[in-house]
Amino acid sequence: MGKRYILLCLICATVCLTFSAIAQERANSAGSSGAAAPASAQETPSASALTHTSARSKAAPDASEARALRLEGEKRFRTNCGRCHQPPHKFPPRVMAAAIRHMRVRAMITDEDMRLILRYMTQ
Amino acid sequence: MACARILAIAFLLSTLCASRLGAQTQSDEEVTPVPLLTGSSGFITTFNGGQPDFHPIVTPLVLVPIGQRWLFETRATFETDLAQVPGRNGYHGGPVQKEVEYAQLDFIANSYMTVTVGRFLTPFGIFNERLYPVWIRNLQTDPLILPIGIGPSNASTGAMIRGGFKAHPKFNINYAAYFSALSTVSPVDSDRFAGGRAGIFIPSARLEIGGSFQHGLQDARSNAFGFHALWQPPALPLDIRSEYARSVAGSGYWLEGAYRLTQVPFHQNEFRRTQVVARMQQYFVGANINDALQPVNIKLVEFGLNYYFIDGLKASSNYGRRFSVAGNANVWTMALTYRFLVPLGHAGGE
Repeated sequence: MGKRYILLCLICATVCLTFSAIAQERANSAGSSGAAAPASAQETPSASALTHTSARSKAAPDASEARALRLEGEKRFRTNCGRCHQPPHKFPPRVMAAAIRHMRVRAMITDEDMRLILRYMTQ
Repeated sequence: MACARILAIAFLLSTLCASRLGAQTQSDEEVTPVPLLTGSSGFITTFNGGQPDFHPIVTPLVLVPIGQRWLFETRATFETDLAQVPGRNGYHGGPVQKEVEYAQLDFIANSYMTVTVGRFLTPFGIFNERLYPVWIRNLQTDPLILPIGIGPSNASTGAMIRGGFKAHPKFNINYAAYFSALSTVSPVDSDRFAGGRAGIFIPSARLEIGGSFQHGLQDARSNAFGFHALWQPPALPLDIRSEYARSVAGSGYWLEGAYRLTQVPFHQNEFRRTQVVARMQQYFVGANINDALQPVNIKLVEFGLNYYFIDGLKASSNYGRRFSVAGNANVWTMALTYRFLVPLGHAGGE
């Protein structure tokens, strides 16, 4: 009985994960093509822009976009880090890169949050 | 055995799927991370029913990023109790207890999944994994229900998949599923069980809720489950955290509120560093006795005051009143904790 429960839970988790991954992949590809619907109220344009770094990775962001990214990064930093502990001060870039990878595993923060926080903490 | 085989196959399939997805969504951190020695140290003084306990503790954590997707992390604890020795003045340290709390290798397969193998903190509830270090916790005493679901040494030995991802523009999902093998080697012993935890985080409300489940694969093959919640009202410097856990050995809950006095209009330099904390918890003994849990029903109410000198250095004190059939008692705790961080290489220029 116990084995069936565990197997059922694993299958459900895998199915949910796969559906979610597919949905997010679709959203990403739609965003990259430039034909995506406007970002929702919660997902700011700056966040979308950072998620799709491949599309504009080499293009220097203008001042307003950089500022928007920084503000969004600060917001994510306070929201995510502050969930468990007092948000720390800024660290040097390579230190922060290691710490954020640790927190990605430990606190299970999302890929997008990790990138925004890392950008905010290192620039 | 068959169950372990099923889990292993599911694990391999998940990893394979994850790697395929990862080809498209590989993390592209632009900054090369440096290995870190971080962790915390503290000196914790407790008066429990009048009995003093002086407790220095050092908990180093080593992080070694490898390439773009791997991370090796291990945390150890060195602690001792200072006690009065008959015929000698003052307090003297006993033997230093050393323990590797966890040593795990993480593979970030893609944006949705990280695969972990080795010895890892059991993801049951939130306290053991996320709130345990002395520099993080708001009150220095452990919750009464902490031993439920986390194994004999707070950790599991086996494998785990976990991750967090944006499932909807308004909320994120995080999950962990793990299998632990039996280990009788002290102090790195672990039980044989499988389980999982899932949670939803709503960033706009700064609310996270979730649940944990665990199925024992040895002895009585009993189940344990729990729920957790964290909420930071966006308009207030307030943290509200709570956990409930239930197993055959016992059940209980704790509810904690911590308010940072940043809104006090005077003496702002002092008050913005000050935090008041209150926690209520209750524990009920179950059918099976577990040495790690309390032997009687207990109700415990605690109040605390924390002062943050600088980032990572905190002084805390708290008073608690314990009610139980074994006798009521006061619990006083004072502590000084510090979080350190040392890069083991070039940290990157400012």
